[in-house]
Amino acid sequence: MKYDSIIIGGGISGLVCGIKLLKAGKKVAIVSSGQSALHFNSGAIALFGRKDGKDVLHPLDEIARVPEGHPYAKLGMDTIKRLLPEVKPLFAEAGITLVGSDNENHYRLTPTGMFKPAWLSMLDYASVSRPDSLPWGKVAIINITGFLDFYPDFIARGLNLAGLQCEARDFTVPELETLRKSSTEMRATNIARFITGDVIRRFAAEVNRIVAETHADTVLMPAIIGLFDEEPVRLLKEQVVCPLYYVSTMPMSLCGMRAQMRLRNHFQHLGGAYLIGDTVCSGNFDGGRLKEISTVNLGDMTLEADRFVLATGSFFSHGLEATPNKVFEPIFNLDVNVSGPRVEWCDVDLYKDQQYMKFGVVTDESFHVYKDGSRIDNMQAIGAVAGGHDALKEESGGGVAILTALKVASDIINELK
Amino acid sequence: MSQENNRHYDVIVIGGGATGAGTARDCAMRGLKTLLVERFDFTAGATGRNHGLLHSGARYAVTDQESATECIKENMILRRIARHCVDDTGGLFVTLPEDDLEYQHNFVECCHKAGINAEPIDPKDAIRLEPAVNHDIIGAVKVPDGAIDPFRLTVANVVSARKDGADVLTYHEVIGFEREQNRITGVKLRDSKNGEITSRYADLVINAGGIWGHHIAELAGVRVNMFPAKGALLIFGHRVNNVVINRCRKPADADILVPGDTISLIGTTSSRIPYDQIDNMDVTQEEVDVLMREGTKIAPSLAYTRILRAYAGVRPLVASDNDPSGRSISRGIVCLDHATRDGLEGFITITGGKLMTYRLMAEWATDLACKKLGRDVKCRTAEIPLPGSELEAHEGGTVMTRPKAHIIDLSTDQKAAEERHGSLSAEIKYNTLADEAVVCECEQVSVGELKYAIDRLHCENLINLRRRTRLGMGTCQGELCACRAAGILVKANKCAERTLRDLSSFINERWKGMYPVSWGESLVEGQFMSWLYEGVCGLDEIALPEDKIDAK
Repeated sequence: MKYDSIIIGGGISGLVCGIKLLKAGKKVAIVSSGQSALHFNSGAIALFGRKDGKDVLHPLDEIARVPEGHPYAKLGMDTIKRLLPEVKPLFAEAGITLVGSDNENHYRLTPTGMFKPAWLSMLDYASVSRPDSLPWGKVAIINITGFLDFYPDFIARGLNLAGLQCEARDFTVPELETLRKSSTEMRATNIARFITGDVIRRFAAEVNRIVAETHADTVLMPAIIGLFDEEPVRLLKEQVVCPLYYVSTMPMSLCGMRAQMRLRNHFQHLGGAYLIGDTVCSGNFDGGRLKEISTVNLGDMTLEADRFVLATGSFFSHGLEATPNKVFEPIFNLDVNVSGPRVEWCDVDLYKDQQYMKFGVVTDESFHVYKDGSRIDNMQAIGAVAGGHDALKEESGGGVAILTALKVASDIINELK
Repeated sequence: MSQENNRHYDVIVIGGGATGAGTARDCAMRGLKTLLVERFDFTAGATGRNHGLLHSGARYAVTDQESATECIKENMILRRIARHCVDDTGGLFVTLPEDDLEYQHNFVECCHKAGINAEPIDPKDAIRLEPAVNHDIIGAVKVPDGAIDPFRLTVANVVSARKDGADVLTYHEVIGFEREQNRITGVKLRDSKNGEITSRYADLVINAGGIWGHHIAELAGVRVNMFPAKGALLIFGHRVNNVVINRCRKPADADILVPGDTISLIGTTSSRIPYDQIDNMDVTQEEVDVLMREGTKIAPSLAYTRILRAYAGVRPLVASDNDPSGRSISRGIVCLDHATRDGLEGFITITGGKLMTYRLMAEWATDLACKKLGRDVKCRTAEIPLPGSELEAHEGGTVMTRPKAHIIDLSTDQKAAEERHGSLSAEIKYNTLADEAVVCECEQVSVGELKYAIDRLHCENLINLRRRTRLGMGTCQGELCACRAAGILVKANKCAERTLRDLSSFINERWKGMYPVSWGESLVEGQFMSWLYEGVCGLDEIALPEDKIDAK
């Protein structure tokens, strides 16, 4: 089978790249193992949120100062500013509403009641412009009875520290009692399946009852609604008498799964081929170019393309792998940027800088990858696998994933014109 | 000072390991008013940092007949009194092609001399018995080894001691002694949580502090020379073997593979460390490499089995009293009456020995205590089962009946709880649907079990809960359950600030064990852990290294 472009990896980076290519009329396939870091999303996407342990207010100012080799440095400020306006519309077309500004970060409320800088937040997720002046008045923190992945006490602590009064309550509806009878079923994704249609009306009635009892000005709830689309989120909001915001739960992340699904549906709707549950096992290189790839499911039938994009993520997504002695890129054995021997990869304190977070494949200024020291002219790396940035310490993972994807898609569109 | 604090005890036992808890049990059972004090948590020291091997004694048969004989006797006793802590896996001593088969003959002979039922079998039968063993073995001997859970064992001793009236203080460190002339009359304690200093008084103080006993003796003004021997171990992500596999050779590094609950353990290395390093239990890359190199010889599949984590413990080696150089090490149990030895009344040290002989050590110490206090009461700890191991469930109820109205009688988590707590699991309440919800999916720990542990088993923090229930000990290493458990703990302690800090240090403690083996799946899990707790939650904000309230 022959495509214009084949993208390996179907997470946020691969999908964004694929959607942009499809919209330019290209024939695109994505090979995805089915796992995506989006499934653990926090309810927001970060562009550049932290520097040296301090919150960053104006991400573009910091991006202008990143060191050489950082994906943002390779993109360059002009490109970044050209691509940023594409982001919200692209997600909106897929059915994902993102709220936030490119010039100034806002803050999202974390599951443990902390405030962290964010660039774009999912629809109706709890976020504020500054954590020291919360506009919520008295807050009712409302949980679903028996749901263990939401922590009203920790959120209350965070709000109390910010000077807010709050009260924690919980409620349930008969539909969920069935779920509770199995001791492991009360997880966000399972609950979300039940909160549709008429249940939403009863949900709203319960929330309104608690609002009346607690005299709350604002309601915070765990993000347990809207698994497939945003419709239930809007419906509940319409029926609740005061502002209602969601706090992300521990995994699985409902909004992350929703975003993943919406992006994928959009990609397929635009005509993209999404080969899910398949793994690329090898590539056929010739004269500095990747000609074709083989996958586990397709066996002898190879996939050919003019251009390839590697969007396989970091260790967590198996875009990189480590043995006691080396770090490697497991599909093509591409050249990797790894510093030092094993003892230097990690720090024994989890919260200190972890060198491995920056590991990635070697790329040139336009994200072309290398194998055995030679550039592969028709293959580029995007997102976490491109390395060179500490997505965690900088809060830059989402921005790098999306912007490198858009940039590489532009390159391919321009070159294949 | 409250009246309770002024209470005068017959005996204060220092140390919440197996020996201290066992001694407190023995003392309490013999009618002594007993206080057990521990500076951190039960099993925080060497007790919680070993193989969890129910030695048959075979390992010591060739080199140390006395230890071997003690081991097999205690082995048989523990099978009776601590049934719920013991997994009767059986054991094998295998000879590899690179080992000397001659050793086996002497080994079997020595085992028999010590009363250990060692039975040479055809290597082919050994492979059938334990398919994980290296198929190239040239010799095999069956022995009555097993696995023992030191966490459960220790807590069962504490529960027993408490039933017989003992008081228990965890997170209280002995920082000095009360004395009258040449007599110890009590201990000065510092509460690790609020720094408050109090004194408790007793006719007799028993030092059962393991390697830390060296320092405790120093505080009392006497010298007990102990040498810390560090041993590192690796935990594998699933139960690779069902039978304990030992290497049939003179004891050396990494020659025992023990199945324990859902995992397997290889160990240990052995290295002398300076005394000032006993609280620093980092596992080095070299130790990991040795354990892997030797471990894969016993069971080749370890090479491609996920390593969950690495950890290390310190055993106290005690210098013989008659050797002023301190180089001659006493191998067995050392029970010192400091009145006759040093002219210091009211102070006993019990040390040396091993997990297997904790009960015997307790018996010796309590015998001496009774003698000194003029009580003539016999030890019954070898006959009376520990709480959890009684043949009939207490309070008249049977273990199998639970108020669960639907589908199945006993869910997986309830069965797991019964495995963990034996007949004590009858005390776990499943009053509501909420109590039945599972918190830790890897190890099947329910809300009810956590509540029981918080109420009854001295749990202040998540690490305590882990030691009591196996929460966070499974393949996800607490990633998904630590937060849930914190949400339950905070309901009990009503302090969100403390519990959040606790959560952040619990996660860091899990990582500390993953760090020495941070490649492959461990690195994947580590990255996930970072994303979740630092990235999604923002817990790095609240992580203060000086905030530690437990040994890591």
